[in-house]
Amino acid sequence: MKLYDYILSPSCYKVRLMASLTGVTLDLRPVDFHPGAEHRSAAMLALNPAGCIPILEDGDLLLTESAAMLAYLAAKAAPAWLAGEKPEEAARVQQWLAFSSRLTASLGGARLHEMLLRPGDIAVLQRQGIAALRELEAGLVEQGVRGMRFLASERPTIADIACFPYVALAPDGGVALDPYPAIRLWSRALRSLDGFIEMPGIHRLHELKPEPPIPTVEV
Amino acid sequence: MLSDTTGSWTPVALSQDLPAGTVIPAYIVSGSIALWRSDSGRIAASADRCPHRGMRLSHGFVRGEAISCIYHGWSYAQSGHCLRIPAHPGLKPPETIRVATYVVEEADGVIWVAAGAPGSMPPGLDGFVPFRSLTVHAARAAIEDAAGATAGPEGLVDITSGAGNIRLLLSAQDGDRTLVHVLLVGEADAATRISASRTVESLRRTAEDRQEKAAAQ
Repeated sequence: MKLYDYILSPSCYKVRLMASLTGVTLDLRPVDFHPGAEHRSAAMLALNPAGCIPILEDGDLLLTESAAMLAYLAAKAAPAWLAGEKPEEAARVQQWLAFSSRLTASLGGARLHEMLLRPGDIAVLQRQGIAALRELEAGLVEQGVRGMRFLASERPTIADIACFPYVALAPDGGVALDPYPAIRLWSRALRSLDGFIEMPGIHRLHELKPEPPIPTVEV
Repeated sequence: MLSDTTGSWTPVALSQDLPAGTVIPAYIVSGSIALWRSDSGRIAASADRCPHRGMRLSHGFVRGEAISCIYHGWSYAQSGHCLRIPAHPGLKPPETIRVATYVVEEADGVIWVAAGAPGSMPPGLDGFVPFRSLTVHAARAAIEDAAGATAGPEGLVDITSGAGNIRLLLSAQDGDRTLVHVLLVGEADAATRISASRTVESLRRTAEDRQEKAAAQ
């Protein structure tokens, strides 16, 4: 399974993270997104006319939407990451998968503006980002009332992975995460999962591992 | 509100939002703080700034009974003393390396921090139970206006809605922002809690609208 990948892309990270959590090995093909704009090259446009990454190739299956990639990895290797049989759960997975595109547009847009100087109205992007974070926070509070720690269920699903990266990287776009206690606990729960991997800007929880031994030197 | 003078209590967070072995950012009138709970459950509050390179300690991590800075791993005890500098394993950190700390009290599910030495304990919640906290981009007056009620001396505002009795505990933040702790009467059921959460979300929108309109005038 080949992933056209860029290390700093939160959407590519979604797929790498999902693969790691489900035990799938990806064949990573780095794309020079910046500064080379390779994702808009003729060869890449032949794969994805929309001119964006990630792109996932498996046999003749060619996917250009990260939510579809998460669904594919889960269906193939770990169906427990998909919605179960409850209609509410299925609906919530779809709800938050669709919602994740708003995170990409707002928080992702603010991040591209701040990091790669992409044109845009930063104040508007940040305001939309805050609105999206508040919606996620309220959703997680309500799930907490229902006794569930994750967006669609008491266990994590592809919906959580779809939302997590742009949320965790919100500070890159100048949007603070301090005001969201439920998001903080949810992020912590996701980063505690077996198979969790990092990307630049999203570090693992150091406290989950014992303190590394430091040889004592007599002075 | 109790946060205006040194030596009084500020309700900085809810107990449920600070599990053992975690650190979170919080705010009191003297500035940003790192609020953390050790693995054994003890709470501490320090300035949110590592004395080494100024990194926020609330970005750090808690292991055992110490907090460590994410940048170079300097770790600190609850007393604020530096315990360990990983780059100098043989060095016992001098007494002078320490972070400023604050008095913390936890009562009825609310964590209170004092910038000085208050003469009394934090106020009780009178049978109300903490539910959730949210930040409102509006000052106290706009929130009172939206709630149709006035805050008492302890920063408490009662609102009545279809969701039953909701009590808000207000705490002023920097830049005309207010941290609002939502308290509910006794053991509210799930439907009541979800309805209360949505009621307070609406109240936030109203308060922020009024704040914006007042600022535009």
